[in-house]
Amino acid sequence: MGLDTLFVFLVLTSIVLLGSSLLNSSIRVVALQGAVLSFLPLLVMEPTWAGRAVFLAALTMGIKGIVFPVLLLRSLREANVRREMQPLVGYSLSLALGIALLVLAFWLAGRLHGIGVGISALSLTAAFFMMFTGLFLIIARRKALTQVLGFLTLENGIYAFGLTGVGHIHWLVELGVLLDVFVAVFIMGIAIDHISREFDHINVDELDQLKG
Amino acid sequence: MSVGYYFWILMGLPMVGAGVCALLRAPRSVLTVLIGAAAAETVVGAFLVKDIFAGAQDSVAWGWFYLDALSAYHLAILLLIYLLSTVYAAGYFRHELEAGVIRPGQFRRFGILWCGAVAAMALVIISNNIGAMWIGMEATTLMTAFLICVHRTAASLEAMWKYLLMCSVGVACAFMGTLLAVAAARGLPLAGSDVMLWTQLRAVATQMNLPLLKLAFLFLLVGYGTKAGLAPLHNWLPDAHSQAPAPVSALFSGFMLNTALYCILRYVAIIEVATGGAGWSLHLLQFFGLISIVVATAFILFQEDVKRLLAYHSVEHLGIISLGVGLGGIGVFAALFHVFNHSLCKTLAFFSAGRIGQIYGTHSMAHIRGTLKAHPVWGIGLFGSFLALIGVAPFALFMSELQIVFAAMDGRAYLALALFLAGTGAIFVGALKHAMAMAWGEPEHSAPALAAPASAAGITDTILVAGSLLVLLAVGLWMPEWYRSLLLRAAHIVEGKL
Repeated sequence: MGLDTLFVFLVLTSIVLLGSSLLNSSIRVVALQGAVLSFLPLLVMEPTWAGRAVFLAALTMGIKGIVFPVLLLRSLREANVRREMQPLVGYSLSLALGIALLVLAFWLAGRLHGIGVGISALSLTAAFFMMFTGLFLIIARRKALTQVLGFLTLENGIYAFGLTGVGHIHWLVELGVLLDVFVAVFIMGIAIDHISREFDHINVDELDQLKG
Repeated sequence: MSVGYYFWILMGLPMVGAGVCALLRAPRSVLTVLIGAAAAETVVGAFLVKDIFAGAQDSVAWGWFYLDALSAYHLAILLLIYLLSTVYAAGYFRHELEAGVIRPGQFRRFGILWCGAVAAMALVIISNNIGAMWIGMEATTLMTAFLICVHRTAASLEAMWKYLLMCSVGVACAFMGTLLAVAAARGLPLAGSDVMLWTQLRAVATQMNLPLLKLAFLFLLVGYGTKAGLAPLHNWLPDAHSQAPAPVSALFSGFMLNTALYCILRYVAIIEVATGGAGWSLHLLQFFGLISIVVATAFILFQEDVKRLLAYHSVEHLGIISLGVGLGGIGVFAALFHVFNHSLCKTLAFFSAGRIGQIYGTHSMAHIRGTLKAHPVWGIGLFGSFLALIGVAPFALFMSELQIVFAAMDGRAYLALALFLAGTGAIFVGALKHAMAMAWGEPEHSAPALAAPASAAGITDTILVAGSLLVLLAVGLWMPEWYRSLLLRAAHIVEGKL
């Protein structure tokens, strides 16, 4: 599988996320995206770093491809919801806006690649598009769980950018970042459990007691 | 022992504390561990900062740990607030444990997270590696999220979710900025693992890719700015501060916000060196500062909840600090001075508000009346800290705000000056009205929620209140020479002049 195919795949999974209403399948799509992303270190890191690349790939696969989906599917069962009902922005409109975001990502990637960032314009496009999609999901969806998926997509985008746009990062930093993201999602999962128990729903827009 | 080991101890002590808390059952032993850890941590910290306070340039260990005037100053404030809040937490939770408001298990979780949060904040301050700095910042969010809902209520869960999500996303943006900053240094002659070190980045700042560096700063400002509670990114702040138990609110307001602002200041230094002191980043800070002051004014005037009122004061004061830095020159000095003043004052304010909230069983200001009579110590604490917060002379906050006014006049930033004076003026009147009503109003004869603390004004309470107010007065009236020189050096670091 070539690098470009991988980036196109990352873009496509993000588009699927924008149009999907079943939480169950959204979780799987994000997991698939994470799993595909975990091959990235193997493809972009210099051969001298082979051991490190394999380690990072395995860790990413384990966390993003296995632990997160298991954790989130469990939260989903606990919360007893299946789909995102009445999102704040409808699915067709989300897809249309997604195309606009893709254009924006292309433009931004082109500009940045022009001043010497990133291994290719496509890699940056994929990274930015994942970030935009993640932010969009956080803003435009009502279920707490979809917001977590948005956060994960955002993190995937940043991860891709870190690997393809920056080059060398100390392994301790990489490890720390992965650990932080792991704990963040873990805590969000627990928080969703608490919220669903306390409120009997996980609609974020109904968490509106605190004002002023 | 080499200074490097102190850094490790500083990081390790709270972690060990957290581990020990996890093993303990009795709340009393958890309390002892918390106080012991705080005291030991303060001693270690004092060893670390003493040379720098005495005039040393900086101290480095293994390249990754770094302390200069700017970070030593912040570390000292962190440890002071941490120590005070832990001592206060002992009294605060003792009553709640006795009254059964909080269960031993919940208190143990508080102990673990409390220690973890301090370790995370210390990591931010002493990291030379901008990646490690980010890791610490995100860890701070994660550690403190469950501190907000120590009392598990619907409202506190809501506040916690908002905090967790907004700050995680914000801090994710900051990581993007961190990566962009590293990318801006690509192709420069830096050894592989040095490329994320702040000291190295500042040394090569003039050769960095400037457009990329500026883009990085925008991400960093928005990202860390969210965590610092700068308007319009402050939405999580009043909820989190009002729902968290008082010691947590105090640590949030007294230091966590400053940790985020500290990160921004580190990047301001790099940008200022890179642009040759053009003030590009300073203008942005000025802008965010003014928005924060204006937004806070609007919410303070019509506030009904005392802890939310204090939270908006935090937005205001973080805004004042950003404005001060943004004005440059003497403004940076004044802003850094304001950091300590605000931290100490706001900590005292949250302490008082928390205990008075326990006594009256509510945080609604309409029901808190006659605090001076009902509980003189905390009544004086609340009223005194309000006076200091709104800038009554000769408290230290008045002095630092006055210097910011001078800085604005020096820099001919008349629009900023007008907005600053209008905002603080309106807040002065509005908050004074709230504070006087709470202090002298006719007390309602309703049954207090927690009877115990009303009668017992412990000696520790008195020392906390009197000590804080006296220090705020003393620093306002007279600034020791070493303190002035420390602040000057820190200001030079921010302005990229060192």
